[in-house]
Amino acid sequence: MTGSPAKEANVVLAVAARDVLRLFRDWKNTVAFTVFFPVAFLGILAGTIGQNLGAGLGFDYLQFALLGMAACLLMMFTTMSVTLLVEERETGFTQEIFVSPTSRVSIFLGKILGGSVAGLISLPALFLVAFAIGVPITLTLIEVILLIAPVFCLMGGAFGVLLSGIFGTNPKAVDQATILTMFPQMFLSGAVVPIRSSSGALYVLVRVMPLTYLVDLVRGVFYQGTPTYGQIVLYNPLIDLTVALALSVVFLVAGMVLFVRGERNR
Amino acid sequence: MTTARVGADPVIHVEGLVKRYHQSPTAAVDGIDLDVYPGELFAFLGPNGAGKTTTISILTTALAKTSGVVRIAGYDLDRQAREIRENIGIIFQDPSLDEHLTAEENVRFHVALYGVYGYRPSYRLMPASYRKRVEELSSILGLGPDMFRLVRGFSGGMKRKLEVLRTLMHPPKVLFLDEPTLGLDAVSRQSLWTHLRRVQREEGTTIFLTTHYIEEAETADRIALVRHGRILFLGSPESMKATMTARYVILDAPDRAALRSELADLHPEVAEDGSLKIPFHEETPQTILSHIRVPLSVLRIHMPTLEEAYVGLVTDGDVEEAAS
Repeated sequence: MTGSPAKEANVVLAVAARDVLRLFRDWKNTVAFTVFFPVAFLGILAGTIGQNLGAGLGFDYLQFALLGMAACLLMMFTTMSVTLLVEERETGFTQEIFVSPTSRVSIFLGKILGGSVAGLISLPALFLVAFAIGVPITLTLIEVILLIAPVFCLMGGAFGVLLSGIFGTNPKAVDQATILTMFPQMFLSGAVVPIRSSSGALYVLVRVMPLTYLVDLVRGVFYQGTPTYGQIVLYNPLIDLTVALALSVVFLVAGMVLFVRGERNR
Repeated sequence: MTTARVGADPVIHVEGLVKRYHQSPTAAVDGIDLDVYPGELFAFLGPNGAGKTTTISILTTALAKTSGVVRIAGYDLDRQAREIRENIGIIFQDPSLDEHLTAEENVRFHVALYGVYGYRPSYRLMPASYRKRVEELSSILGLGPDMFRLVRGFSGGMKRKLEVLRTLMHPPKVLFLDEPTLGLDAVSRQSLWTHLRRVQREEGTTIFLTTHYIEEAETADRIALVRHGRILFLGSPESMKATMTARYVILDAPDRAALRSELADLHPEVAEDGSLKIPFHEETPQTILSHIRVPLSVLRIHMPTLEEAYVGLVTDGDVEEAAS
């Protein structure tokens, strides 16, 4: 370990590897967790909507929902994985990490990387459920999701860092904040239901949800050049990408500053 | 003891340290000054809420101070926190191990965080020097066969030993121990201390210890007694005991009247059982015994223990505070 960048990269790798190792050690919970969400939200919720309301939309609703759920699940799993850092405060393990001579950025990047793996291993379950309910899964669809997955994970991780920074001294508050912020986003972002015609207060809420830009990005890329593009997509994918990256940077920086300040300035 | 190099530059220098928690009317640490020298075993004692953990948290960079100057291993806390972290090891009051990992995985994660070795996904892929060090330390600490078991199944004593092992992988100039034996049985406590003293002796590591067990401080080079965030006493265990006046010889003889007569100049007190109690300060028990010709039936010398001195100092502080 000679150079500082090499050392920091090593820390990122170690922190991520630890999270992945824990996923496999705790495989029963991991499997239950990664299967539950696709079944509940794609299989049951989107399946019901698709069967009862999807016919008149003019596009394949279940495919639309699958793309939205992929963005949503990857963001949510990465967020939850990062906020575990606060939960570990109760076991004292967070102290071991934060008194080590390493950059806080590396620690959080490691958490995001580890959380991304947690998110990615949920994708096979999502595709399996999609296949079971008759969603047309094409190679292009899988390629588009995998191509944009790093952006989903970055945003999810950054959002987790922000929640950890705001509620860093209270593990229960972080848990509740994660649920209270992720579920409204799932509906308001258009992950499951179309939002293009939202108006009034909902119009504003739709546009302040970070997840909206991820869901719109993946659909924007997938439906590019198709006749249904104008019916489904809110913004040009480049705008979505810019907003998603900018929000990720803001969340990361603000979250890290708040977390470290909260950790030391009690 | 002792490998301490008193007179060398202090490895821990604390000057006017103050910590006031948010929304707290009083300071948890209220103007502490102290120097700890290389190789010392320094005990930081005090009752609950005295400010011990707050102080150790500040010194280990885990908590921001309100004011004061702190230098650890020559590095300034305000400007060089990272360098300080590179030079210290910490064993927290509560175990800070990942129970989902094996003991060796915890160690591997630690060395990667400290930049001692690059992270590899398995023990076999780690460098030979790492594996040798783990083998050596696990053998010394009696954890050898357990290194590849999940920490979840470890006893409190094993967890503490693993934390010591983990800390020694980097290895630190200063080892901070915040009540390291809390909750351990007597055998585990003794075993852990045997290893810690060996580390102090062989590696020249400075140990900064907070503990509730006074007997653990008996072998310290120096003790700081802290109460309400202020240092009440700073010195060796012997000088702490010397603050107590309760040193006396208890004597009795079949011919008590003759004994009392021989000791009349020393103004003996009569104990409940009729024996004679003669306090001594500057003189030694031998001086007292030199006055006696009559045959004795009882001869006991009472010297104050560190615990008595500790309780005495803390109680005196409470009395002074109540009076003022």
